[in-house]
Amino acid sequence: MLRFITSRFLQSLLALFLVITATFFMVRFVPGGPFTAEKAVTPEILRNLEAHYGLNKPLWRQYLDYLGSLAHGDLGPSFKYPNRTVNEILSDKLPVSAELGAESLAVALVLGIGLGTLAAIRRNTWVDYLASGFGMTGISIPTFVVGPLLVLALAIHAGWFNASGWYEPADRVLPCLVLGLAYAAPISRLTRGGLLEILHQDFIRTARAKGASEFRVVTRHALRGGLLPVVSFLGPATAGILTGSFVIETIFQVPGVGREFVNSAFNRDYTLVLGTVILYAALIMALNLAVDIAQAWMNPKVRLES
Amino acid sequence: MNRHRWPILFPFALCALVGCTKPEAATPVSVSAQALRISQRNEPADLDPVRASLPDEFFVIRALSEGLLGPNPDGGAPLPAAAARFDVSPDGLNYTFHLRDARWSNGESVTAADFVASYRRALTPATAAPKAQLFFPVKNARAFVAGTLADFSAVGFRATDARTLLITLARPLPRFPYYVASGPWIPINPRVVEKFGRTWTQPDHFVGNGPFTLAEWRPQQRIVVKKNSTYRAATAVHLDEIQFIRFDDGDSEERAYRAGQIDITMDVPRTKLATYAQERPAELQRAALAETRFLTFNTRRPPLTDARVRRALSLAIDRKKITEHVLLGHQEPTTRLVPPTLVGRAFRPTPTSEMSPDLSPTDLAEARRLLAEAGFPGGKKFPRLELSAWSHSQTTVLEAIQQMWKLELGLDVALAVRDAKVHVSALRSGDYDIGFITAIPDVADAADLLNRFTAGASENFPQWTDIDFDRALADGDFAAAEQRLLDSAAIAPLYFNTHHWLTSPHVHGWREDALWTRFYSNVFLDEK
Repeated sequence: MLRFITSRFLQSLLALFLVITATFFMVRFVPGGPFTAEKAVTPEILRNLEAHYGLNKPLWRQYLDYLGSLAHGDLGPSFKYPNRTVNEILSDKLPVSAELGAESLAVALVLGIGLGTLAAIRRNTWVDYLASGFGMTGISIPTFVVGPLLVLALAIHAGWFNASGWYEPADRVLPCLVLGLAYAAPISRLTRGGLLEILHQDFIRTARAKGASEFRVVTRHALRGGLLPVVSFLGPATAGILTGSFVIETIFQVPGVGREFVNSAFNRDYTLVLGTVILYAALIMALNLAVDIAQAWMNPKVRLES
Repeated sequence: MNRHRWPILFPFALCALVGCTKPEAATPVSVSAQALRISQRNEPADLDPVRASLPDEFFVIRALSEGLLGPNPDGGAPLPAAAARFDVSPDGLNYTFHLRDARWSNGESVTAADFVASYRRALTPATAAPKAQLFFPVKNARAFVAGTLADFSAVGFRATDARTLLITLARPLPRFPYYVASGPWIPINPRVVEKFGRTWTQPDHFVGNGPFTLAEWRPQQRIVVKKNSTYRAATAVHLDEIQFIRFDDGDSEERAYRAGQIDITMDVPRTKLATYAQERPAELQRAALAETRFLTFNTRRPPLTDARVRRALSLAIDRKKITEHVLLGHQEPTTRLVPPTLVGRAFRPTPTSEMSPDLSPTDLAEARRLLAEAGFPGGKKFPRLELSAWSHSQTTVLEAIQQMWKLELGLDVALAVRDAKVHVSALRSGDYDIGFITAIPDVADAADLLNRFTAGASENFPQWTDIDFDRALADGDFAAAEQRLLDSAAIAPLYFNTHHWLTSPHVHGWREDALWTRFYSNVFLDEK
């Protein structure tokens, strides 16, 4: 097991290095730079700006300088925000994205697993149809439709919440609900499918024969195996919630990493683009690793094969 | 059996709880009665006047500090601000500014030496001020920025005593006061900047000389400024607080406005203009901008090398149709480059809305004749050119022009929308056919717009060179220069842009000018 983890970790490091290198050069080859605007700066001012940010050095030199400071954990100064460093920006925004992600994930899990279980137990009844209908609707309607609709209903008409912002605890409700709903839908479908398969197996019949209550059969015996597909989905889903929350962040003006990422690309804020890419890549790799380990723990078959 | 159901019902119970959190949560961010909440659509890169370059940054900076002169809300000559008055020498080269007895927000006196130190910092090459060119009219300022002059005492700034500042120009410039009123001329407190370095613009460090002080800056969330009791004209400031609340797009902003979270929006989504005009006309505001939107022709790429072709394309555009039926926002159609707000009476005696006869906006017969003369009768053999822009919101304008050229001239053009920086880079390097672009001057001076078309200038998107144009501009004859440019049809001006926004009915005294300046003095709210 340790060997498995070590080798996966080293692979991830190599992948991260490749991602950094590719991003560094790709973002430089995009037309337009951080100082490109409809109104040009004069040549002497452009020279001063480039000298200020070290852009007058050859590209390979800039690349080595960047790797050098990266080795010390320094992601460099932001090109767009001269009074802030990329480290400061990310450490300011990451907790917000993490909170939004964690709360949305909680909504997604509670709702998705709950509905999926209900649908599996009451298969082919109206309960199942309702839950499956929710699943299909949730998968089909994108967040940028659900979000504004909920704002319209709950913020503008009912007046229960702010339409946007991230100041009070109540401001968390709408964004987390919308993002959570989007992931609850696939989770409920996966749970239903996984459980249905398990509920037909021999060990479930044995458990029932031993006189275990239906509640105990579902929670103790069926869910552990039935949730395996959900767990493999959770890795990419968590990464998706953390990195893909851009739309939600924009609709609800949540000051998270997603907006910084997208805006930095438009602003050609080279260091901030790289910083967010590194952050996201590291997150996704760590999450995939965690999922592999969790799967091994949950499924003895996977454990033996590795 | 009932006992077993609770875990299944639990998620529903939780969701119900989550969905119905206490209704008092909807109280808006505001607390104080005279707290104005404004939408801030661009996160300021910095609140340092010399490091800022966007109007959005100066929305906040102008609340915090003021220069020697300030913009005039009525669009006329700049008004006294930190300086009570100024004298000009008969040769027009020396401006003497007499400072008021004013204080920084930390209690220190605002001195002429502070201004000189601010300007020195703005021009120092290591500061890399993006808008340093607004100082170039001053003697030797350009050489100091370029690094060819190291001695700042040779630059035309001198504090003759604590309250008198002498500025010497390289050559006379009647519109110089407009430069002095521009954003980068806003001073900084040199001692504070020296002490805190790049973090001096953080709320606990910031010191300004303006009507408000910086109380809070949460990046990508909001900036809060509070009334500065040491401000020289504090009695004209009725607001206790302004909140600049960050929004990424017009839709979220408009929803927040409807939910009562903000008092003033940055704009109005085009699709909602008609609804607001009909249902809440008192809240819908409009201001003419000194912003010209035009087509630039790549004059180095055949057949656009031929002025007759360019003129034909320009003449076939019905600008009025575009503003009235496509843009729907009361933009002013034009065949001129320089907007009326930028020029005095002497420059152009006739109102701009009356197009000059030689530049009649739409003349289809003449357009067809010119095109035939250039060798493309009825548009035959004309190559398929590309018309490009930088935002999908402009697609409808491009499509209208595409149709006009197709129907009237028999020409087929392709449309392309690219990322803003990609688009501008292509125009700058001459790697395009016909581009839709905008010109927003930094200062209310026609030279700001016309300088872009001098030979070799990096904003010379048409890649156009004309000795007579350059000479007229060098002589300060802007009217002749503009005429020369328009006669060559290197560009086809389309319309002067208009700014729309919403103002909640309990806000009074809100004013904006054509160059995106907002005026916070004399603004007040109804007592709730």
